[in-house]
This record gives sequence, C-alpha cells and structure tokens, in this order.
Amino acid sequence: MFRGAFTIWGRDMRVFRRSLFSELLAVIAYPLTLYMAFGVGLKGYISDVEGVSYSLFIAPGLISMTAVIAAFEENAWSMWFHRKVQRTIEEYRVNPITVYDIVIGKIVSGFFQGAIKGLAVAVVILLLTPFRFSLGHFFVYLYFIGFGSMVFSCAGTICGTVIDKPENIGRIQGVVIVPLIFLSGIFFPLSSYPATVLPFVKILPTTAIFEGARLSLLRGIMDVRYSLILLVTAAVAFVLAVWIFNRKIEE
Amino acid sequence: MEYAISLRNITKLYGGLRAVDNFSLDVRSETIFGLLGPNGAGKTTLIKILTTLMHPTSGSASVEGYSILTDDKAVRRLIGVVPQENNLDRYLTARENLALHARMHGIRSRDYNPRIDELLELFGLSGRQHDFPDTFSGGMQRRLVVARALIHNPRVLFLDEPTAGLDPQSRRVLWEHIQSLRSTMTIFLTTHYMDEAEELCERIVIMDHGTTLVDGTAEELKERFAHSHLYELEFRANSDRYEGVLRAFSFIESFERRGNVFRLVLPAEEFLKPLMDGIGSADIKRICLEEPSLEDVFIGLTGKKIRE
Repeated sequence: MFRGAFTIWGRDMRVFRRSLFSELLAVIAYPLTLYMAFGVGLKGYISDVEGVSYSLFIAPGLISMTAVIAAFEENAWSMWFHRKVQRTIEEYRVNPITVYDIVIGKIVSGFFQGAIKGLAVAVVILLLTPFRFSLGHFFVYLYFIGFGSMVFSCAGTICGTVIDKPENIGRIQGVVIVPLIFLSGIFFPLSSYPATVLPFVKILPTTAIFEGARLSLLRGIMDVRYSLILLVTAAVAFVLAVWIFNRKIEE
Repeated sequence: MEYAISLRNITKLYGGLRAVDNFSLDVRSETIFGLLGPNGAGKTTLIKILTTLMHPTSGSASVEGYSILTDDKAVRRLIGVVPQENNLDRYLTARENLALHARMHGIRSRDYNPRIDELLELFGLSGRQHDFPDTFSGGMQRRLVVARALIHNPRVLFLDEPTAGLDPQSRRVLWEHIQSLRSTMTIFLTTHYMDEAEELCERIVIMDHGTTLVDGTAEELKERFAHSHLYELEFRANSDRYEGVLRAFSFIESFERRGNVFRLVLPAEEFLKPLMDGIGSADIKRICLEEPSLEDVFIGLTGKKIRE
C-alpha cells in the first residue's frame, strides 16, 4: 500500500537533500528581506498592529508564505519537468504502482519541502530577530503550516499537470498565487478591508492559512472557522489534484 | 503459455484519426518479435496500449494471460519497457536510477543491489555507476534504460525503437545485448531499421495506417516479395531526363534513385516491354533483376521511403 508514493517521496527527498544548502539559502533570502524591509525598516513608523509590534505581526505570515510558495513551486515545476522534459512520469507508470501513488508521492514531497523551508525561515527569524513564541503555540501553528502546504502542494500539482508551457506556470504564480497570498493580510490587518469586502476575504483559503497561522503562533488560538476552511480546502484540492492528474495522464 | 502477447481487434482513435485499426496479433513466448512500420503507422500506440499507458478505444489485449484493461497492475509487474525517448532521471546517478525502478517493483535492497551490480557489469556501466546520466553518451544512456527495464527480470520486454539515433557501434553493442536475452523472455521490438529487424527478429509484422500489411520471418517476407519484379537500371548519361520519363509510367509501383542507378518495382514481367519501349536502349548501361531486401519489401508495401 502506497509503496510507489513512498518511493517517489524518497526520490524527491534524496534530490532535495543534495541541494539542501543552496535551496535553503535561496528560499530564506526573500522572506528575510521582506522582514528586514517591513518589520525593521517600518518599525519606527508603525508602532503596533492589533496590539502586537509590526515585526511580530508579519513574522508568522512570512514563515507560512515561504512554506506554501515552496510547496507550490516544488510541485508545479517538478510535475511539469517530470511530465514534459524528463518524461519520468511515463517511467513511473509502467511500474506496478497506481496513479494515486504518483500524485500522492508528489503532493507529500511538496508538502515536506514547503514545511522544511518554512521552518528554516522560522529558525533564521528566531536567530536574527527578537521574535519569540511559545512552544505550545507552535504546535497549533503546525496545523496551519501543514494544511497550508498541502493545499498549495495540490495546487502546484494541478498546475504542473495541466500546464504545458513553463512560462504559464510563472504567470499563474504572478497573477493568482502571489496576489492571493499578499491580499490575505500578511502585511496588514484584515480590519483594513471595507466591511462589505471582509466576509469574502475571510472565506479565502489563503486568509485561513495566514490569519489562522498568526492567531495560533502569536496567541495560541485555534480558530475553528479558519481550521475548517483549511481542512475542507485541503480535502477538495487533494481530490481535484488526483482526479485531474488521472484524467490528464489518460490523454 | 504458448502466447505471451495477444491482441484482439484493437482499435485506437485520436479524435477522427484511426491510429490502430482492428488490429489482432499473437506473439509466441520467448521469441523476438519485430513490429515494423513508417512513422505514424501505429507502432508506438500499440506499445502504449500493451504497456497499459493507454486504453484502446475498442478491443482487448493480454500480456502473459493478464488483461491490459482489468489486470493492468499485474501486467506491469511482468513487463520491462524501453521507450522511444530516454526517460532517465537526470538528478539521480545511474545506480540510483536502477534502484528507484527496483523499489517501484517492491524489490528489497538486499535483492536488488546484487542484481544492479550484475546488470551494470553486463552493460559495461560499472565504472560510471555513480555518475549522472546527463554525462553519458547516447549509447550509454540507452544501455542504462535497457538495464533498468531488466532489473525485475521481466517476462516480456518492450523495446520501442531501441537504437534510434545511435551510431553504428552503439547499435551493434545494443543488438548483442538484445541477442543475449533471446529465449529468456519475450521481446516485442518496434523499429524502422530493416537491418535491425532482420538481425534480431524471428518474426516480423509490417504495419501501416494501423493495420497489418504482412506477417512472417524476414526470409518469408522477402520470398513473398520476390514475385514483385524489382529491377535495377543504370544509365550512362541523361539520368535526369530518364527520371522524368520513368515517373510518367503509372505502372511502376515504387521508384528510388541513387545517382545514375534506379531501382524500380514492376507489378509483373510483362510491364518490362512497355518500360523498355518508353526509355529506349541508347543510354542504358545495365539492367538486372534484383533480389529484394527487407527494405524493398517495406518500401514496396508502404509505398514510400521510411518517414522520418
């Protein structure tokens, strides 16, 4: 059961391990720059947001953003590369494993890489800044980073499965993924939105990821509404990813 | 089991295109079977159907008695596949590529490691086992793909144009490896190299437009085609003018020119007289009846040269 998925995950982790240092260096640079620019640079101008200092306010979101973008990128590019360039998906498919093994293996790989990169950013922020949180809060936060990575891992799998031209993956990222992430309150409180827009923003899965992550890491609150939205989104994204992959492969 | 592969009335449609048309075939166990045809004949589609990568639109097929439609996982356990394009993992070393494949088959490391050593030695890749495939020559990559397909001791090996794009030396080396597998497993090979089919295959089917044109051993096919009257005609001069004259004869079945030499297939002996009347004898240096090669059979049947 899931032997193929485990094998594919093992392969991806082996390749990831080989380039761990360069991968982490690249992935840490971007959120750390944002943290320095906004958290430190604007500290003198923004005293606090919703009762916490601005640098503390943005830290959970930056860690989560790193994790979910890494999960998306890993799966979108990896799936596209294995399908269109290396054609290893075809090699996997002539082995006695199922398409579920392939897609589950890939999703779990994306999830792990996202989570590892998110944690690496968390460690660097902890080392370089006065940002601190309690261990108890961290375990609640893992729920959001875990399911958030899962959702974006599935989204990446879908993109890598259906998109044939690589430049279109970059476009999806620029036009859909990044705006969804940035508009979900990483850098500003949701209360900034007009009251008419706010209910819609609050049902976005990205809002559930980033607001849920912030509430859990800073206050230790497990927001039921956000956790349910995330759980349902992860389940739907997983079913969709498997179904779309199955259909595309049949073509 | 008498037949390792059986296909019954297989049809595959891509939209309006009929890639395989009501195709039936039985391949005996532990033989090397060759499927020949020009590009687009339907060979790769048939291999994809037999290796469970694709479902037929209609019809049924089995490999070692297992249905490709209902027992696809059992089929994949028994087959090795060498695809047309190398699909090695360039982020894994040669050895890791083989190990990954073995793990997909559920083989434990204590069992697959000696097997990998054996195959790397057999295919002359032991010294490069820790290198990445990107650094290999085309011939070495191809050998690695074949080695990978053999890791789990398949009962049926599918080779889709295994030597396409290789230099003559690499082709010969690969042929030797394929020959060494004779009688140990069933080999289903597609190619459009006639010499390869003649060298390796005990039985050959030539197909085009999704259907079988002929079926037999290389000798049988050539013998069958011997009645097709293949002539070689050489001119002393004015070959360009004669080419135009020859092209105007509607009864010439196929036509090929190499310098001043023309190879023609006539439907029957009685067409020789109108041919000679048409071209005259002034510039003819030589005319002789030729023994057909497998390539002549192929071109005669498909009506064209190999489509690249």
